[in-house]
Amino acid sequence: MGIGLEIRDPIHGFIFREPHEQEIIDAPIFQRLRRLKQLALAILVYPGAVHTRFDHSLGAYYLAQKVSGRLLKSANERRLVRLAALLHDIGHGPFSHVSEDIFEECSDRGKLGLKPKQQIHEAITAKLISADKDLSYHLSTKEREQIIHLLEGTSGPGVLKSIISGPIDVDKMDYLLRDSYFCGVQYGIYDVERLIDTLVVHEDSYDRHLAISLDGVHVLEQFVLAKYYMSTQVYRHRIRLITDEMIVRGIMLGIKKDGISWLKDLYTYDGSDAFVDNYLEWHDERLTSELLRKETPNGYAKDMFRRLSNRRLFKRVYYGKPQDFGPATRRVLFEANKALFTKIEAKIASVYGWDHNLVLAKKITHKSVRTQATTNEGQITVMKPGEKSVFDEESALFKSINDAIREEFVEVYAPVTYKDEKEKKKLQEEYHRDITAMIEQLANPQEPLPLNVAAERPSV
Amino acid sequence: MKSSDFVLYLVHASGGNIQGRTLLQKRSFFVGELCHIDLGFDAHYYGPYSAEVDNAVGELKSLGFIDEANIGFGVARGGFEMKRYDYRLTHDGTEVVEFLKRSHAEDYKSISQSVQRIADAGNPDYVELSIAAKAYFILTKRRKPMSRAELVREAQKFDWIIDAVSLDRAVTFLEQLGLAKSNH
Repeated sequence: MGIGLEIRDPIHGFIFREPHEQEIIDAPIFQRLRRLKQLALAILVYPGAVHTRFDHSLGAYYLAQKVSGRLLKSANERRLVRLAALLHDIGHGPFSHVSEDIFEECSDRGKLGLKPKQQIHEAITAKLISADKDLSYHLSTKEREQIIHLLEGTSGPGVLKSIISGPIDVDKMDYLLRDSYFCGVQYGIYDVERLIDTLVVHEDSYDRHLAISLDGVHVLEQFVLAKYYMSTQVYRHRIRLITDEMIVRGIMLGIKKDGISWLKDLYTYDGSDAFVDNYLEWHDERLTSELLRKETPNGYAKDMFRRLSNRRLFKRVYYGKPQDFGPATRRVLFEANKALFTKIEAKIASVYGWDHNLVLAKKITHKSVRTQATTNEGQITVMKPGEKSVFDEESALFKSINDAIREEFVEVYAPVTYKDEKEKKKLQEEYHRDITAMIEQLANPQEPLPLNVAAERPSV
Repeated sequence: MKSSDFVLYLVHASGGNIQGRTLLQKRSFFVGELCHIDLGFDAHYYGPYSAEVDNAVGELKSLGFIDEANIGFGVARGGFEMKRYDYRLTHDGTEVVEFLKRSHAEDYKSISQSVQRIADAGNPDYVELSIAAKAYFILTKRRKPMSRAELVREAQKFDWIIDAVSLDRAVTFLEQLGLAKSNH
């Protein structure tokens, strides 16, 4: 593959491309990914995390080349997998994953005819692939349809779908290594060459499935643990959770309170070509700079993005575990009832005299290690000589940590400042006691509990 | 009905505990079928499996409504200890079920009656229940009458092994539940 077309990549070395696939990489729709940071504002925690969706998509493409080259006999299938990997993130908007919550709030799922679990950015991806003029020029209608189906997981052989989206897909294979490298951490490191070498295809009467040979169990353990550690140490880093929530709230307030029409247009997906044309013009830096322009009237969104630009972040004022609440509260609180969380924010704001728009309450779940090694179809299949098994059965390590439970908790962020560590400790203890009582009261209005709120509070 | 509420009702109606992940999955499968609740079961290595039920169990454990205990029972080939995972409703979990029984009495009744129907049909252990689940899963997927030999052959396509004697017991069980008819 590839004659002279190569890119030097810090993770995988030289990435070679087919000439007609280079044309897709050169298309403006793909070049736009250079302007979307892979980890949004993780740079506020890890200054090196400046890598983009462009680098990552090329990395996923490279790994798709290697995996499909090993496992797939059909040249058409190999090309399809490479293209799907290349285009899998094409629908991301400014600040990547955080956009999804805003799309959900602003768009009409019913009118769009989305499937129950289909995310709006996935629908945008499909729209872009089917409507973009450059992609239409370089890819046939049939190819574009096949790529969309593969990305949506709606049709195609199981092995192709698993290479693109599953517990050992090329997306994760790349981002664990890439995010580790750019964040300057070692948590996501695993032996990618060995993992690819041990992937196999298991064929039954119905389908072809992606599986791993018995020799690959140890490298798969390494890979699953890498995913777990990256989730707990990087993707779910406390500051990162705060910045993500600040972005979402800032944009939501910009639309709902400040009445910024261009923000509303950007996040109201209606399936039209006009939406797509506008959407492709936006990226992380442009959104921030438009909001911070002198001409943009002062308001919530401008203030929030000014805070983010200057790293004046909200503080975590509350952290509650399930065990902090009575059983009835736990049941309703941890199902992430949106209306309840809005009430909690309003109550906290009213008690402390804060602006309720700037109180952010959120339920957070850390999946267990065991869950990281499963798919919706069950566990990863391990092929042994003459029989098949599953990862849980074959991994001595995962047998011993099999019952590790997932963690659920509630956090509340607000723009508070503390004079010193002593005041911080004192107030955090009070917040914990008071906010726990408020949540109990709101979740169980029939069983009111006495509130004992201290008088002295920092201002917001 | 939330999947986590379903699992709470199921464990409560099963006497407050269920011994083994497989038994919990397969009992969920049949109760779901009898109550017409879609729990997203699909073909898996061990037979029909629901990630939704597995996820609900994880949620209930993290909320302190269910305890999971692993019981060692010998050593497998290769020297690894074999374990069974048992699930028990905690005090808090029982309290939540009692609360839900008042507000969702019909849901609880329907699940409780289905658990009783399974018990009345011979209360099969996890192995028998697993074979019955595989047979029923194949029958519903194929949507046509099948002979026992066809069922055994079809199971092999899923890499499931069903022997003739076990299949006879499974068919009797499915008949008793009213989920299948046999022409013998």
